[in-house]
This record gives sequence, C-alpha cells and structure tokens, in this order.
Amino acid sequence: MADTTEVATAAGSKDPSVGLRAVRSMRVLVERLEALQVQNARDQGWTWEQIAQLLGVTRQAVHKKYASGRGPLRRKD
Amino acid sequence: MFERFTPEARAVVVGAQQEARTLRSPTIGTEHLLIALLRRPTPSASALTRHGLTADDVTADVVRLTGDDLDADALTSVGIDLDSVRSSVEAAFGPGALDDPKRKPERGGHIPFTPRAKKVLELSLREAIAMKSRSIADGHIALGLLREGEGLAMKVLHDRGVDPFSLRQDLALVLNP
Repeated sequence: MADTTEVATAAGSKDPSVGLRAVRSMRVLVERLEALQVQNARDQGWTWEQIAQLLGVTRQAVHKKYASGRGPLRRKD
Repeated sequence: MFERFTPEARAVVVGAQQEARTLRSPTIGTEHLLIALLRRPTPSASALTRHGLTADDVTADVVRLTGDDLDADALTSVGIDLDSVRSSVEAAFGPGALDDPKRKPERGGHIPFTPRAKKVLELSLREAIAMKSRSIADGHIALGLLREGEGLAMKVLHDRGVDPFSLRQDLALVLNP
C-alpha cells in the first residue's frame, strides 16, 4: 500500500477523472460487499429486519433490493 | 452451417470461444471473432496486421472497453488497496467472490454467440458466395465483420483509425489473388 502522504496527495487531487473514477469504483465495491454480506446473513438465518437494522435502512428497502429477484437470497421456506 | 468452413475458419470460431472464456465474457461477440482471427497465422490475418491490428492490442482495447467497474488505480487514490480487499473477501467467501456477478460464465460451459456475432458468421457465408468461393475461409469472416459494420470489433477498428474500405479491398485481394 502507498504511504500515507502519497495517498493524501492523490485523494486531494483536483483531477475529476481520478476522483470520479474512485467514487464510482467505491460505489461498485460497496454494492458487491453488501450483496455478499446480505446473502451470508440470510444463509445464517438472519431476518430482513435484523439485516436492515445493521445496514441502517428500512426492512422494506433491503427486502425489495434483495428478496424479489433471483433465487439464492430468497428464503427457502 | 459450419460444414462449409475451412479448417482456418473453424479454428477462428473455436478460438473466439476461447477468447471469450479468457476474457470472462458470458457471450461470444464480434470482438472475440476479431481477436481469434488475429491469432491465426494466415494471409488474411496478415492483411489485418498490415492495417495496424494485433491480437494483443485489440485484446487490451476490449478489456478497456468492457472492463470491470472496479478500478484498482482509482481506488488507490483514495487509500483503498483493492487487492487486499479482494483477498480478505475471498478468504471468507471463496475465490471470485468480489467479481462482477454479471460476468460469471460457467467454467468449461457453453458460451453462446451474440446475435451480432451470429450475423457476422451468416454474412461470411454470403461474402463467400458473392466471391464465388466454395468454402468459407477466415478472410470471409473478416469480411463478414466489416459487412455487419457494428459491434465492439468495429468500434475497436474505428478507434484505431482503420479504414474499413481499404481493409476490405486488401482482404478481397488475399482471398481472390
């Protein structure tokens, strides 16, 4: 990993092409981590309520995002 | 429809599947046909090379154009080491856990052609017929790509400043000397 000064300089970079790409990549990274963690929680029997509480969103929001579509995240019962 | 393909043309079709797999694409597109064409040591491939195309350059273009939305360099600029994030996530959830869920072709499984790549293969037959050729050679697939005129392969050609008309003439000359 780059040393702190180097990172701080880059993070403070005013070049939008660097900054915006970083923001986009962080958003994608967060989405993927969230999907993994929600799936993992469901696999371990967590309720949507419990998951939503820790994610800081409503139960409906997390349910709508992860329960409606594909199979793996759906409750098996 | 492949019975009229020459061994070289078949190798391109098979090669395109391999390129798609290597690039972890869920489908075989025009770009994979183009890369596979360039990998064969044939006169038609040489014609493509004369117009400044190489398999490695085109592959790099395709990776850039279709690449993963996770930009390791950009993340480094805000102090996130993607490699270390990836390895800790994979330690918990298995290899490839952080990969784009949309880009997971089954290992060794069948990869379908995109409609446009299918169209290119159909057009290669028409090119062969138009040139009164009994069989479809790899050069006819190249002509099919140009005739189809769209898709990622054509974008790469365009971005690299390849003149499709002059390339078409060169290919025709190679096929019908």
